[in-house]
Amino acid sequence: MKRYVYILMAIAIGVFPLVVENTFYIYLAQTVAFTSIAVIGLNILLGLSGQMSLGQAGFYAVGAYASAILATNYGWPLYAAIPFALIVSGIAGTLVGLVALRTRGLYLAMATLAFGFIVEILSQRWVDLTGGTMGLMGVPTLDFGNFRMGPIYFFWVAGFTWLFVQIGSDYVFSSRWGRSLLAIKDSESFAQTVGLNVPIWRTGVFVLSAVLTGLAGTFFAHQNGFISSDAFSIQLSIALLVAVVIGGLGRSYGPVLGTLILLAIDEGTASLHDVSLMIYGGILLFVLLGFPEGAIGLVRKLMPSILSRALMAVPSSPAAAPLEEVFSQNRRRESVGLSIEAISKSYSGILAAQNVNLSVAPGTIHALIGPNGAGKSTVINVIAGLYGADSGRIRLGETYLTKLPAHKRARLGLARTFQNLQLIGSLPVLDNVLLGMERNVPRAGGFWRWLVDTNHERIARGQAMSILQFLGIEELAGHYPADLSYGHRKLVELARAVAQQPKVMLLDEPVAGINTHEVKEIGEAILKLRELGITVLLVEHNMDFVMRISDHITVLDYGLVIADGDPAEVRANPKVIEAYLGVEEETT
Amino acid sequence: MLDTYLQILVSGLAMGAIYTLTAKGLFIAHLATHKLNFGQGDFLMVGAFLSMSLIIAGIPVLLAALLVLIALGLLGWGLERLVIRPLDRFGISGGSTYSWILTTAGVALILQNIAELVWGKSSHYSPPLFSEGRDNVIEIAGINMFVEEILVIGFAAVVVAFFYYMLFRTRWGRAVYTVAFNPEAAMLLGINVRRTVVLVFVLASLLAGISGILVGPLITIHPHIGLMFTIKALAVAAIGGFSNPLGILIGGVLFGVAEAFSNYYDSAFGDLYPLIFVLVFLVFRPSGLFSEAQADVR
Amino acid sequence: MKSIVKSIAIGVATVLGSAQVLAMDVKVGVIQGLSGPPAIVDFGESYLQGIRMALKEYKAAGGAVDVELIVYDDEANPQRAVSYAQRLIQSDNVSAVMGTVSSGNVMAFAPILQRAGIPLIAGPSIATGITAEFIDEDPSYIFRCSMVEKFQIDKMLDWGIENFDKIGLLHSTTGYGSFAADEIQKGMKERGEELVEIQAAAPGINDLTPQMIRLRDAGAGLVLNFHESFELPYRALPRIDYKPTFAGNWGLSSQKVIDIVGQDAIEGTVMGQALDLSDPEAAAFDERMRAEFGDAYRWPVLAALGYDSGRIMFQAIENAGSDDPEAIRDAIESIQDVEAVSSTPAEPFSADDHECLDAEHVFLGVWRDGRVVRLE
Repeated sequence: MKRYVYILMAIAIGVFPLVVENTFYIYLAQTVAFTSIAVIGLNILLGLSGQMSLGQAGFYAVGAYASAILATNYGWPLYAAIPFALIVSGIAGTLVGLVALRTRGLYLAMATLAFGFIVEILSQRWVDLTGGTMGLMGVPTLDFGNFRMGPIYFFWVAGFTWLFVQIGSDYVFSSRWGRSLLAIKDSESFAQTVGLNVPIWRTGVFVLSAVLTGLAGTFFAHQNGFISSDAFSIQLSIALLVAVVIGGLGRSYGPVLGTLILLAIDEGTASLHDVSLMIYGGILLFVLLGFPEGAIGLVRKLMPSILSRALMAVPSSPAAAPLEEVFSQNRRRESVGLSIEAISKSYSGILAAQNVNLSVAPGTIHALIGPNGAGKSTVINVIAGLYGADSGRIRLGETYLTKLPAHKRARLGLARTFQNLQLIGSLPVLDNVLLGMERNVPRAGGFWRWLVDTNHERIARGQAMSILQFLGIEELAGHYPADLSYGHRKLVELARAVAQQPKVMLLDEPVAGINTHEVKEIGEAILKLRELGITVLLVEHNMDFVMRISDHITVLDYGLVIADGDPAEVRANPKVIEAYLGVEEETT
Repeated sequence: MLDTYLQILVSGLAMGAIYTLTAKGLFIAHLATHKLNFGQGDFLMVGAFLSMSLIIAGIPVLLAALLVLIALGLLGWGLERLVIRPLDRFGISGGSTYSWILTTAGVALILQNIAELVWGKSSHYSPPLFSEGRDNVIEIAGINMFVEEILVIGFAAVVVAFFYYMLFRTRWGRAVYTVAFNPEAAMLLGINVRRTVVLVFVLASLLAGISGILVGPLITIHPHIGLMFTIKALAVAAIGGFSNPLGILIGGVLFGVAEAFSNYYDSAFGDLYPLIFVLVFLVFRPSGLFSEAQADVR
Repeated sequence: MKSIVKSIAIGVATVLGSAQVLAMDVKVGVIQGLSGPPAIVDFGESYLQGIRMALKEYKAAGGAVDVELIVYDDEANPQRAVSYAQRLIQSDNVSAVMGTVSSGNVMAFAPILQRAGIPLIAGPSIATGITAEFIDEDPSYIFRCSMVEKFQIDKMLDWGIENFDKIGLLHSTTGYGSFAADEIQKGMKERGEELVEIQAAAPGINDLTPQMIRLRDAGAGLVLNFHESFELPYRALPRIDYKPTFAGNWGLSSQKVIDIVGQDAIEGTVMGQALDLSDPEAAAFDERMRAEFGDAYRWPVLAALGYDSGRIMFQAIENAGSDDPEAIRDAIESIQDVEAVSSTPAEPFSADDHECLDAEHVFLGVWRDGRVVRLE
């Protein structure tokens, strides 16, 4: 959203209650404002990080009760009660988030469903605390003591709070935060590999959504002066989900649009109470089966491009500099070696790797080859940190990586590609590359920079373009991975790894399944990387390729090292020939 | 004292049998497609109401049951065809990996509304299936038990046994497992994946229907009993890890019995304890009793 | 001469009278619980049936005011209830409001109506404090035409203590059940007695066998039943060899309960009542309702109170002669000559009593031979 649009929104919020005569509409607008906040929280949770929650009503209730109880029974002023309620919501979010770490997909949906259910029942039956279904009365309302102007003041507070949260949401969506969350949603392995501490992120998002939902709950509590447990049923959780889906899941303006539509439907069908459930269910089906992108998707399609250009801020990627410049901008260029000592790993009794020793000299290209099932991928995954070794040590330069989780290894300068390509499908190619730059991005001040400059990531984008240019695919920057050929996708994966400006790169079958021309290109790219001082360990089946570019080769068979030396030695080694069943010339 | 415990045990087993059957429906759908019917409990509700109306109208029990199963089977077919399969064409974007939760929930809401319009919103009782009156009590070893409950347990056991037979001893059952493992490979092996998926959802609905028929006489029914059954069936299926039918059986029985006893000891919060227990259980063993955690390896 | 003056006077009066008729078009808002848990729905639908019947008869009798009912379903959700109250006041411009089932919801929107100066006849909510909360306001806009929980409980306890040695209590864990439990325990203590056993149960529960077993083991001859699923305690009885007398609130007089439980089991059950079907007026009303609503009519006392409150409302509006809420409020408070089918008196309200039914109007009913009659 272009920045001036925010100012327009602020003016609209300020003026709205003054020009609208029917106070009922102000009341409805209040509800839209604070409910949208909860839906924004759900949008980030489900739309960005992919964690399904069927129990958001639980956080809503926690926020509402915390603030209402403190204000009503203990006389706390609202400016103290509400922040405290947010803290309590955050704690609830942390607890649920921790459970969420252990569960995925359907189980997570069930766990959150159970959570919402338990909160509802507790609020219903813990009558001493919450008043049960009779509820709490006399809850102070947010009217600053002025009865007549009260609803207008309330609307302003709710409306501007929403605006603030919406701006925050826009920030998340158009910055590394949103990108990282989408990465975690699509592939946690990938996320770890680029240095993201996945559990912290996942829990953090839960906390964020809990706090936002709790905030909405506090507004709710102080709107009517009364709350009871009847308001926090599963219907509320479903309503929030419906709102986010109708509006457009995963779009920053989905929540407010969805909430508006949902409220309009509710009010419009108020007298049709005999068929209200059918209408609700019908809308769900209609939207999900017909308009999966929600109202935002529809708006986008129908909006004339002039309007779109006037409103939307689209960052551009400036002209790219050559790769050496990109790399030279960053720290010292001394190369670092990688060694693994006595690594063993077994799965359910099968010894995938036995006592493997491997030493990659700094700034060289080292290949790890062997017949299928030899344990090559296992070794790579152990080095990267996705599997834990049963025994042995891994050393990057002088640092021992053995006990470190994968994302920490990434931050120390280890990058890898995946055999089965972990690209983030919901992001265009350039953003995938940007994800590689995670560890180099300065964290502080991000929001303010974004606020003043819609192209706040221009430097990073430029660097990403340089990398794409280096691999000859800069014209693909705006495409989505699903639209690309296999060969191009491999190049993007490589680009992302390069973007990490690693000290050591682990390439898992970088040229498998692509044509000869592309193999040559990748070969040249890897040689170039060596020139930049990067140490490379690669796994491959393409013998031609391996022989051509490797400085050193290690051969594995049945999890054991059977040969180790330069290409000529290995080629002539009888044990190697035997392991490959006498096939001297390997074809792919 | 003992007779009290036994009576509670039998009640618990009866409800547990119902939960198991409903959960098995969720299990089989999820096994083959990684999706399930969030309105499973509402399908149960429809089965209960239909069964009730037919029996009150004087139709013999077996015929009524058959009609109910046909109706539920059609519902299941309709569900798969209309609100689950169409989602496949949208691919992975936004939250569409979970769209099926909302579409099946949407169908559930519509079913509830239809039930309200047809049968009204208040509670109804369903005539007993196997015995004359609702008070039919039999004395076994000096303890009084409802005939209805015992027969529900017996009948449910038969259905479970039949289910096992289908799953593990027939070709179709093996086809389901193959599709579960790898749909593309299954297709290459000559299995009609589409038909298997449809059949799986039909079977899930039939199980919901049978549960509805059996549960009617045990409880009072109204259009909104579905959600609780869905939640409990999900909990039971979770204990079974969604992958092991034996786990589901054990889970269902345990859940029903635990629920009955915890109601006895703490009537105010009794129904919460089994659910909280399942929640905690999920934290420690996220993939259920018997299955292995799947490594997140790509 | 005299007759000319007389006819002119009559003519003038008629013209003035019909001018009033032509000007009157009053909107009355109704918020009721019409969906959600069956316990709520049964209450809400029955009460609304009574209101509708009252309106129908009012129009058929040539009522002077053109009353329009605007009905909203609050789905037992307080937020909805408040939202509809706001809507009725600000958008629909009603002059008076009636409703709703959940006492919690009533307490949520009553302050709003009081502040806005719109009269409310609350019902069928039964929480004791509904009118008491506002009675000191000058003036109070909140009235209620429904059973008051405390009155039923008082009558029940008096009768129970006199006739039974051991009394037990079964209540639900919702606000309604907990509230009733509190009132009962307080009431017992005031009378110097104690319950032998108290059992609670969740509202959506399927089986009350464990609870009934405990009550049996405590030897309770009378069980006070304050659980929304009125029929569940009966179902558990056959196999545990226990046949206590049940007493509960007016919910037990619903046709639904006897349908589910059966005539034998319900025989002798006692409940709070405000409608005596042996009274010819009441019996006639019962017939009319059955003719109009058929099987959907299942709760005589609820419908009767809805009917009476409707009659009071429409008559008061006519008496007020305008759609001004304040005038209507005054008219409600001062209404006389109410011909109620329930035990509502002819002059139900006064400046410090806004309850249709006072303690002396509530009596106990009992199921005998498939009908609810007054307990002697």
